[in-house]
Amino acid sequence: MEFFKRLGEIDNRVIYILLILSLLIPLMKPLGLPISVGAHTRRSFSVIDKLQAGDRVIVDISYSVSGAADVQPQAVAILKHLFDKGAKAIFVTTVTEGPMIIESLVKPWEQAGKRYGVDFCNLGFLAGGENAIAMYCRDIKKAYPTDYRGNATSELPVLEGIHSAGDVKMYIFFSTQNSDMYVRQVTQYKIPIIGGLINTIAPQAEPYVNAGQLAGILVGLRGGAEYEILMKSPGMGVASMDAQSMGHLLIIMSVVLGNLSYFLTRSAKPVKKGAVK
Amino acid sequence: MSSDPKVWVASILTIMAYSYLFKENEFYKAMEHLYVGVAAGYTVVMGYTNVVSKVWEPLTKKGSWWVLIPAVIGLCLFAPYIGARYAWLRRIPVAVIAAIGAALSARTAVTEQFVQQLRASMISLTTLDNVIIALGTLATLSYFIFTVRPNPVLRAGAEAGKWVIMVTLGAAFGAGIMGRISLLIGRLFLLFQDWIPLIKPR
Repeated sequence: MEFFKRLGEIDNRVIYILLILSLLIPLMKPLGLPISVGAHTRRSFSVIDKLQAGDRVIVDISYSVSGAADVQPQAVAILKHLFDKGAKAIFVTTVTEGPMIIESLVKPWEQAGKRYGVDFCNLGFLAGGENAIAMYCRDIKKAYPTDYRGNATSELPVLEGIHSAGDVKMYIFFSTQNSDMYVRQVTQYKIPIIGGLINTIAPQAEPYVNAGQLAGILVGLRGGAEYEILMKSPGMGVASMDAQSMGHLLIIMSVVLGNLSYFLTRSAKPVKKGAVK
Repeated sequence: MSSDPKVWVASILTIMAYSYLFKENEFYKAMEHLYVGVAAGYTVVMGYTNVVSKVWEPLTKKGSWWVLIPAVIGLCLFAPYIGARYAWLRRIPVAVIAAIGAALSARTAVTEQFVQQLRASMISLTTLDNVIIALGTLATLSYFIFTVRPNPVLRAGAEAGKWVIMVTLGAAFGAGIMGRISLLIGRLFLLFQDWIPLIKPR
């Protein structure tokens, strides 16, 4: 009983150190735990895999730097899939950090020979959140007279013949916010929508997938890892999975032991005068 | 160790941020102020760029004078800083932003979030998944019925609905923890791969 009592009074800092070690050790010495690919990721992969060379896709990179660790592996994997298929990406963003993140994502592809303005473009930040999404979906060149690099959008070959979101083959968004606004503003254009989401908001998007309003979603770092496996191109997502599993194991153990300690020592604690029993 | 000064700065700031876990200290406070300052500075630059590309250039290069209308409405947000007697002007842009946002959302919210979700709930009860979805939806809805005097059936439904809500919130909480772990892993990659090469790149 004394053991459980002391367990309940353990210093938070011990748990922090254990958590960091449980993540760091598998990153240094991978355990090779198997990673199964979930239905959401498979669905997203098969939808994107149907794209043809030359098809144009709007990619909204609206995640903040603070959430990048959860979403960036998804974006990297999907971008590789798009460019491998020969699709063209029209990048937009409604968060201020977005243009900088887009530039970092396209840099390796630009060095590998993808041409700015022809294979992709970065239209930059548009203020207004949901209003901005509605605006660029309705008339992309009006919403963005110039791109992030200062070119007139009317002169970009990748935007030739594109007026609204209905003129592209697909809409992909990566976001640290909820998916409601994308469903409200993009589904009316009747194009497949794929969402790359952080773990926290993914449960909220499930009803939209079940209703067919979202063609697929990727959920957090795990979704990125699963996509990397389907792409046969393991990256940061796959490398993180062992660590994430061990971190979860530690948290589950902490929850179980914490509850055991509480329930086993509860009866031993003196009840304060006037306290509700 | 990395020779990139940017990696050094990011790593030291990360350690300063996490030092809060030990206890609140001056390094953490300094980093917190720096973070807020950098974020504010970046946002100001983005705002300035936005004004140049959306207002100044169309006005001076194309003579699109009508861009001045939203620009002036936007400037009214700063009216309280001129003097308290002008503070009321701030209500105009706030009203415009709220009205446009509400109108845009309301236009599609009914079809996409109400009708489509209702349609998606009308499913054939041929699989266990569908049965769980249907019963879960009914139970959750019954929890929120407050206008009918409770009877045993409604009470049982509400109790089941409470459990469905708890499971949903539990899933959301679990997903939240998973997300936080991912963020920590991202920082560990910076510290122990980019800065001190203890994690081998795959």
